[in-house]
Amino acid sequence: MNGIDNPVVFYPAAVVMILCGILTVYFKNIMHALLSAVVVFFLAGMFFYVLGSEYNAIIQIAIYGVAVPVILGVAIMFTNLKKGSVEEKREKIPVMKYLVILTGGVFILAIIYLLMTSLVILPDSFTYALPSETNSFEVITSFASGIFVRYVWAFELVSLILTIIAVGLTMFKRKERS
Amino acid sequence: MGEITVYHYLFLGLALFVIGLAGSIISKHVIKVLISIEFILTGVNINFITFATYCDMPKFDGYITALFYAAIGAVELAVALYIFYLMYNKKQSENIEKYGDL
Amino acid sequence: MADLILDNIYLVLLLPLWLFLIIMLGRFFSVYVNKGVIYILTLLSSFLGAALCGSAIWKLDSGRILENEIPFLKIDDFVINIGIHADRAALIFALVLFLASFAVQLFSVSYMNDEKKSYRFFALLNLFNFSMAGLLFSPNLFQTYFFWELVSVISYLLIGFEYSKKEKSDASKKVFIINRIGDTALISGIILSSYFLYSYSGNVNFASLSFVDMNVISTLLHAYAPTALYLVICGLFIIAAAVKSAQFPFYTWLQDAMEAKLPVSALLHSATMVAAGVFILLRLLPFFTLAGITLKFIAFIGLLTALICSICASSQNHPKKVLAYSTSAQLGLMFFAIGVLNIKAAVAFFAAHAFIKTLLFTTLPDKEECWNYWNFIFFLLGGLSLSGLFISGMAAKEMIYYGITNHVYSVIFCVVAFLTAFYITRIALVISHEYGLIKQIPDKIKLISYILLILMNIILYWYLREHCEYKVAEPFWSALTSWIVVYILYVKKAFRKVPVLYPLSYNGFYLDKFYTKTLVKLYDEFTNILNVFEMNVFSNYKPVVACSRFSVRITGWVEKNIMEGCVKIITYTFKRISRLDMKAQSGNIQRYNAYAFIIVTLILSCLIIAYIIMLSYIGG
Repeated sequence: MNGIDNPVVFYPAAVVMILCGILTVYFKNIMHALLSAVVVFFLAGMFFYVLGSEYNAIIQIAIYGVAVPVILGVAIMFTNLKKGSVEEKREKIPVMKYLVILTGGVFILAIIYLLMTSLVILPDSFTYALPSETNSFEVITSFASGIFVRYVWAFELVSLILTIIAVGLTMFKRKERS
Repeated sequence: MGEITVYHYLFLGLALFVIGLAGSIISKHVIKVLISIEFILTGVNINFITFATYCDMPKFDGYITALFYAAIGAVELAVALYIFYLMYNKKQSENIEKYGDL
Repeated sequence: MADLILDNIYLVLLLPLWLFLIIMLGRFFSVYVNKGVIYILTLLSSFLGAALCGSAIWKLDSGRILENEIPFLKIDDFVINIGIHADRAALIFALVLFLASFAVQLFSVSYMNDEKKSYRFFALLNLFNFSMAGLLFSPNLFQTYFFWELVSVISYLLIGFEYSKKEKSDASKKVFIINRIGDTALISGIILSSYFLYSYSGNVNFASLSFVDMNVISTLLHAYAPTALYLVICGLFIIAAAVKSAQFPFYTWLQDAMEAKLPVSALLHSATMVAAGVFILLRLLPFFTLAGITLKFIAFIGLLTALICSICASSQNHPKKVLAYSTSAQLGLMFFAIGVLNIKAAVAFFAAHAFIKTLLFTTLPDKEECWNYWNFIFFLLGGLSLSGLFISGMAAKEMIYYGITNHVYSVIFCVVAFLTAFYITRIALVISHEYGLIKQIPDKIKLISYILLILMNIILYWYLREHCEYKVAEPFWSALTSWIVVYILYVKKAFRKVPVLYPLSYNGFYLDKFYTKTLVKLYDEFTNILNVFEMNVFSNYKPVVACSRFSVRITGWVEKNIMEGCVKIITYTFKRISRLDMKAQSGNIQRYNAYAFIIVTLILSCLIIAYIIMLSYIGG
């Protein structure tokens, strides 16, 4: 039994992850919600690792597990300067609520149908999908060839977007100050 | 409790996705909505990586796509937070319902 | 054969359209578009169009035709294609079009700079280029008709560009309505010939009137159709061409078009609108060659127009009016050249005339300003060229003269040449006298456009001298004498003393007055008679009155009980729907999110259900 198909690894982590996800939505206190979200992100990173992509796991944990919660926490502190978040009544359309719940059910069913059938109609390798026996060096090699050879333009584009956002936000801030 | 197959991972991603979707519709706090959107992205990422591991042996295109998703998600979060900052200065509230005047 | 230019010739068509869409959509979605960007893009598109056309002419062998068609409309087995059909003639016309419009656009960059809605003007110029190029490259008569209409619509928009001024909007309306006659004639000709071919010729493909099969089509029609029908079809096509090119009975619209702005007139009179008539005659030439009488008719009409319009032009005092008459006259010469089957000369004269007319129009003084010396000099150069004394105009005119065999024709041609030189010189003197001349260097961009036009003329002259045969003959000398005559007349001020001709020509042979006065009056009389008839006969006849009363009562009842109820129901439902819609438009982001989610799910489940049903069909 490998890590990837080990129920002892999978089930507890999955249960905790889904629970924390639900709790994130459920918690009234925003700080608690953020903490449970961090758990979800870390567990997602763990799943990436289990699935064989260490690089993705590192990135997931570095960005979502650490950087994003820190930024969000700063933002929360910024809002909490004024105490007491206001909970106000919204004018409700009761039909809407049931409609959304119903659609949610239909959506889940549809996705499940798609998942179950998509592997069947695809070629043979998909039908008997088995985890690949790879060492991490191979993964990193293919990763590098993907980023720097096959998807080099997309990679450059994404980095360009990142740069633009960074510069742009700074510019905005500066303009505001002056 | 048999072996874990590809379907388990796919359903895990689906569950995370649905939680994120529901959260982004239900919750009233702006930051919660942002976190929920990140959940959606994470769920999709799990899907990508699962397919890459199980079905795309030598190339691993899914890993790279997941990487791009993470980067774009971070960018989106930065922009959203700046918008939140401006709106908060204007409305003095983090309740998303208040942001919706036309 | 793969070729970078020949394969991508459709770009000529798409560039102006694309630009028009960019400019108009940009305004529509209120995106700010920089003026400079619009100018540069527009100029670039016409320049690229000219470059593409020029290199395509250079690369295309003379007999080859570039064809690319897709079926557009299918009715049973009758198919109308759209696409591109580029041969040498179309490419030459398009080259002239793009060069002239490049110069005009360059001119209007400086001319329209202070105008408020110049973006709309440029968009329309682009659309004009597009529609004209589409007309030139259309593979069959149906597409030609489509673009033919588009050209007149856009000319309507451009002439009435300042629609708040009454005379301008009126002029644009009149132009549009007179053009309608030509459109009707063209579509009737198309329908007649297409219907005949569809029902009587064995091959249905001919019914789509493709230009490639034009020889076969005309032969078939000539062989199987009754002579009268054939002549009627030819006549309808000739009428269409004559209206578009402002020939004899219909030339009045061109004088109304002078209300337009200078660049618009320059474009209308040179290579776009009036060229369509000449071009369609060239395309339908197989039709006319089979019946010699139609060719004679075309030549006759052309010469008659040239004579009449030249006489008219020589007594007008408004510079634009003179140029408008002269356009009619020169196009008459082109018609004449086509009529005597001197095609090369017709095309050469078209190109020369386009460049010269653009130059003449752009150098005119506008807005009651003084005329400056530079414009005067350029105007005189253009006038010299138009009257056949100088560069390309001379070459082209002599080419037409070279092909004449009939003595009467040659005499009339010389008279026309004489008159042409006469009115051009005279109007130059009149303008300089009325507006006054000042020394002032015009705008740099304007100067560049003038020089460009002169350069095009010179290049054309050089080309004609190398490749065509002609000799300097009578028209040249008659034009030269006329310049002298004008000078003498002008000095002695003896214009108005000429007895019969002066009033006749000053009023444009009373054709316009005839239209407005006699025909309108006739129509009024007719309606008056009908009115009297109704008042006196019907209202005194009892059964009619009773009948009408009864019917009024019935309609009243229906209106009150049935129609009103329907209207009420409709308004009620719409009110409810709009109230629901108002609730939906709350501005709440999350609600929008939920809507999107619901819609996506609906689409997804519909797709899945369709997929399952399809699977079950395949399986069962």
